[in-house]
Amino acid sequence: MKSFILKISSLILLGIMLSSCASPAGEAAPSEISLVDGLERTVSMEQPALRIVSLSPSTTEILYAIGAGDQVVGRDSFSNYPAEALEVQDVGGSMGSYSYEMIASLQPDLVIASEINTPEQVKSLEDLNLTVYYLSNPKNLNEIDDLLEVVGTLTGHEKEASELAASLNKRIDAVLATVAKAASKPLVFYELDATDPAKPWTPGPGSYMDELIQAAGGRNVGSVLQSAWAEISIEELMVQNPDIILLGDSNYGVTVEQVAARTGWENLNAVKNGSIYAFNDDLVSRPGPRMVEGLEELAKIFHPELYQ
Amino acid sequence: MSKKNNLQPYVVTSLILLIAGVLSIAVGSVFISPRTVIDVIFSAIRGEVSTLDPNGVYLQIITDLRIPHAVLLILAGAALAASGSAYQGLFRNPLADPYLIGVSSGAGLGAVAAMMVRWPYTPLGLMVIPAAAFAGGIITVLIVAQLARVGKTVPTTNLILAGVAASAFASALTSALMINSTGELRRALVWMMGGSTQTGWGPVWGILPYMVVGLSGLVIIGHPLNVLQFGDEQAQQLGIRVQRVRWYTIGLATLSTAAAVAYTGIIGFLGLVVPHIVRLIWGGDYRRLIPVSMLGGAGLLLIMDVIARSVIAPQEVPVGIVTALLGGPFFLWVLKRSKSQNYW
Repeated sequence: MKSFILKISSLILLGIMLSSCASPAGEAAPSEISLVDGLERTVSMEQPALRIVSLSPSTTEILYAIGAGDQVVGRDSFSNYPAEALEVQDVGGSMGSYSYEMIASLQPDLVIASEINTPEQVKSLEDLNLTVYYLSNPKNLNEIDDLLEVVGTLTGHEKEASELAASLNKRIDAVLATVAKAASKPLVFYELDATDPAKPWTPGPGSYMDELIQAAGGRNVGSVLQSAWAEISIEELMVQNPDIILLGDSNYGVTVEQVAARTGWENLNAVKNGSIYAFNDDLVSRPGPRMVEGLEELAKIFHPELYQ
Repeated sequence: MSKKNNLQPYVVTSLILLIAGVLSIAVGSVFISPRTVIDVIFSAIRGEVSTLDPNGVYLQIITDLRIPHAVLLILAGAALAASGSAYQGLFRNPLADPYLIGVSSGAGLGAVAAMMVRWPYTPLGLMVIPAAAFAGGIITVLIVAQLARVGKTVPTTNLILAGVAASAFASALTSALMINSTGELRRALVWMMGGSTQTGWGPVWGILPYMVVGLSGLVIIGHPLNVLQFGDEQAQQLGIRVQRVRWYTIGLATLSTAAAVAYTGIIGFLGLVVPHIVRLIWGGDYRRLIPVSMLGGAGLLLIMDVIARSVIAPQEVPVGIVTALLGGPFFLWVLKRSKSQNYW
């Protein structure tokens, strides 16, 4: 009971602090916000959201990147970046199930859902009288601007959002200009999961990895596949013979040595030349500002000669 | 003496269900003390605002989340356990479960097929997936029954074999759909593990009509199932219309199981184990077995769900994992303790 009172009073205190810092002097009175979300729903709010629950890691990263981190009162279990986000109340989300009662108890004025959420989940939250915005994933790197703009509007950080978008675009352009000078494009195999090394999972056309690998001046082995995520046969891998292997599963403990020791993989160029790299999958799987960091990392791996 | 014995199973399982229901409403990822729960509920009944819950959050959690969730699971647990016991009697096979002749794999196929299309965000659009699961389950059983039919009769062996084959076929189709889908893989996986992600009263109202018909029908089918245990010919001579009983049982079990699966997904083990536990303790009279299994199944599923929701809160484990994980050992314990050597 005591801790409960403590919690409530600290929440109230936090609320007062947030509301005082979120309305900077000199700005015009906030007018009503009305946006159409990814489910074609019109979402209206009288003012920018001050108590936000984020249901996906990409949304959490965007919120913190545009300076709305203080307004986040809840986040899903996968939101592990930035480190401050870990201090925020976890509302579940593994195996697709969120704790609706935890979300309700946080009394958010906005819940941001994204494409990892189902329409049924949006409906369930709506039934709790919560304001829900369903954020569609950007189709490509250029659409991250729109994403930032929307989240900026929802949270009252339009200015930071557009500044961030401008700086991200600058960095993207810099990478594109650099890799344009490259003499050749290495063939890249991006490993998502190779629990079965005879048919590892890899990103195909339509995935962010595919787009980023190409933008960073590489060619993706998975481009030949039908869908965005698929298993590729080891035979196809041997025929294509990639120059570089990226271990997107290094977050799950797969090491360069393990790859070199797999039967049938020893003859791949990448293995023979030692061009196997652990890669932080979060940089290229979450549609947010860190994708640009992912792009830069990829370009440096593909074209070290241009980054000396 | 005999009257007391007749009532005992009902009293015991009702008590379990009652305790499970209270637990289910009291326990959740947000801690609400029992005193607060009681105060909130009684204040709401009196039409007042509880002093312990000034902004109504707890009331909302209890009435819009916990109670409908408990009611949905009570219906599902009752349907699965009752269908399981009816099937065990119909097929005279201790391994029969409510999914035996294809209702779950058909429902899975229906749900995953419906997910391939992006439905509009409208009340109707949100109904498509559970409706497709429900229809998929029923259509699969109809196909199985048609394939197994010999003239006007359906031999049970044929039914089981056709059911197993159709299940395998439907599961393979489901996997093929999932592999070929681009974006919806995650959603399908989530559905397969735990059913619909929709909460609140909507799902309860959606399945209630089918549950009322299915469950009340299963309660009254107990006597003919008893007679059926002597074998088809004997039962026929004793005045039971064997084929009709068979169709009724299949129809009622399919109706209630398909309705349960439409929202709660495939919850394994419960429909197999609960009837056996009841049988081990109170014997195999179907007039009692089926209703007592209903009460017991509902109570057990609620308890499993409380565990599923609280072990790693605020994350939730799909309840099907807990039913198999805890239901298995619990059943073995009951089996080991049972004194009669061949209770079946």
